[in-house]
Amino acid sequence: MAGREISYGEAINEALRQEMRRDAEVILFGENVSSSWRVATRGLKEEFGRERVRDAPIAETSFIGMGVGAAILGIRPVVELMLVDFSLVAMDQIMNQMAKSHYMSGGAVEVPMTLRAIYGAGTSSGATHSEALYALFAHMPGIKVAIPSNPFDAKGLLISSIRDDDPVVFMEHRLLYRVKGPVPEEAYAVPLGVANLVREGSDVTVIATGAMVAQAAEAADELAPKVDIEVIDPRTIIPLDEEAILNSVRKTGRLVVVDEDYERCGFSAEVAAIAAEKAYGYLKAPITRVATPNVPLPYNPRLERHLLPDKEKLDRAIRAIL
Amino acid sequence: MTKVAIDDETKLHLYRTMVRIRIFENEVRRLVKEGQVPARFGFYTGQEAVAAGVCAHLGLDDQIGSTHRPLGHLIAKGCNFKRLMAELCGKRTGFNKGKAGPYHAFDPSVGALGANGIVGGSVPMAAGYALAHQLRGDGGVSVAFFGEGASNQGGVQETLNLAACWSLPLVFTCENSSPEVQRMLGHEIDYPQLKIENVSERASAYGIPGSSHNGWSVEEVYDAAGRAISRARERGGPTLLEFKVHQIEGNLEGRLEAKEDEKIWCPIYNYGEELRAEGILNPELDQRIRDEEKAAVQEASSFAVRSLEPELMEAFSDVFSGGS
Repeated sequence: MAGREISYGEAINEALRQEMRRDAEVILFGENVSSSWRVATRGLKEEFGRERVRDAPIAETSFIGMGVGAAILGIRPVVELMLVDFSLVAMDQIMNQMAKSHYMSGGAVEVPMTLRAIYGAGTSSGATHSEALYALFAHMPGIKVAIPSNPFDAKGLLISSIRDDDPVVFMEHRLLYRVKGPVPEEAYAVPLGVANLVREGSDVTVIATGAMVAQAAEAADELAPKVDIEVIDPRTIIPLDEEAILNSVRKTGRLVVVDEDYERCGFSAEVAAIAAEKAYGYLKAPITRVATPNVPLPYNPRLERHLLPDKEKLDRAIRAIL
Repeated sequence: MTKVAIDDETKLHLYRTMVRIRIFENEVRRLVKEGQVPARFGFYTGQEAVAAGVCAHLGLDDQIGSTHRPLGHLIAKGCNFKRLMAELCGKRTGFNKGKAGPYHAFDPSVGALGANGIVGGSVPMAAGYALAHQLRGDGGVSVAFFGEGASNQGGVQETLNLAACWSLPLVFTCENSSPEVQRMLGHEIDYPQLKIENVSERASAYGIPGSSHNGWSVEEVYDAAGRAISRARERGGPTLLEFKVHQIEGNLEGRLEAKEDEKIWCPIYNYGEELRAEGILNPELDQRIRDEEKAAVQEASSFAVRSLEPELMEAFSDVFSGGS
């Protein structure tokens, strides 16, 4: 796709701006969202005013719960979590009220809320400022989880999330914010639940999310002379495009999942289980996970790098199952 | 503070609402005993004045968030008896298809948006209802009901601050059911859970008005709530109201009347006496009100009992909108 290139952060900003222009009931609040140094929300207060773009006190339970309530009355709140780690102080409002109000009410109410959460390791920020945690949200029935890996998806998935009638946790990797890519100027929706075939191949299926998608693509390029690797980015892990994953596994017979979230009971385990249950007869090698080991992320950059999945670890994992 | 004048019609409405709640709950007690209502949960007996006095100021476009003792709030807010009773019985005709029960009941058609299974859980959401009204400029308000136990929850404290900062049209309504002993009824705890005498004292810490009231006097509730709700409607921001109440828990056999030693705390008994003294209520009218409410509750009860269970497949619907 030729054309204009903007960054992931600018793509998020553009999606917010276009949706707020389209629908006067799309509002934005969170910590520091009026700040001029925050790319994703820069300039929105100036265009839409302080009624619709509000800085909230540092009190996630109250402002996330307020988003849930406003959404129940039909407002479309986009609530920002400065870091996904801070969701942990507001779990009742996210995991009980946001996730379950639609179900508990027997469908009598909807919660069309988008919870934007910045996440990601690799900045030496320590254990409570580096996590991915999206498997937590995926575990709870009633929450959709989008994880854009590039600027195009960031814009299109955010627009879909805001328009969706269910709560969506929208995961934005902090290290992708400056990555540029082609993004159409007009508003467009990337549907939730449709995987992206990043790279077609016939020998090994690699499932990758968020910042791991680029790592997978690079590993695939480097291995290309010897191995033909297919890379699939699910784009949303709830809903999950199981068919795209299973069709690929049936074709290649080999599956590696690379995931920045913790390995135990995580997204990588879920994909492995789905493949084992539904494509067992096609597998030519053990399913392999390359995920963050089950230890908190340390501050020291060498220790942090030692734990995080990356293209070298993925490369080794792929070679091991050939 | 001088009380606002209340007309006779409003007085009888307040009385009738309290009687309605008591009769409805007594019928629910019967259905619990019979096994028609499959769970035990908290009743509102003795607190009726608060729901009646507060909700009398609310319209269908105003919202409430409720608690573990939700029936008084739901009934005073105008929930349909039949569908409420069916919900308590877990039937498909309940307004949440039998998936909510008492702790999670939602009836958006009357603005009863969430009893809540988490202590204090509905309070941040009520701020969201208030925010929607503020953004739309429609003059609507929301009321967050919670207990003195919930007043210690971080989410409630955070929401007091947030509502104050944003001047939300929200009335925090604390029903303090253990005013003397400073502990949560039903919980055997040795330590006090509040170091202050009145929950309303917390209001000043957030820069909003707060006041404590006798919660077994429906006119006092009506008066205090009226001021706070008008203030919210007129963009004056949130208020923290505290109503001291006494739960009358010995009422399991379905009595409408309070026992002698409970009478000083019983809002229905007290208000009935007042209205008789004022010549507004007489024994015939009192009986007629009770008969009419009893008939409506009976109708709801038999509707609920006769209603069908949900289909098993219903367990899988409504996880996401669109039915899946």
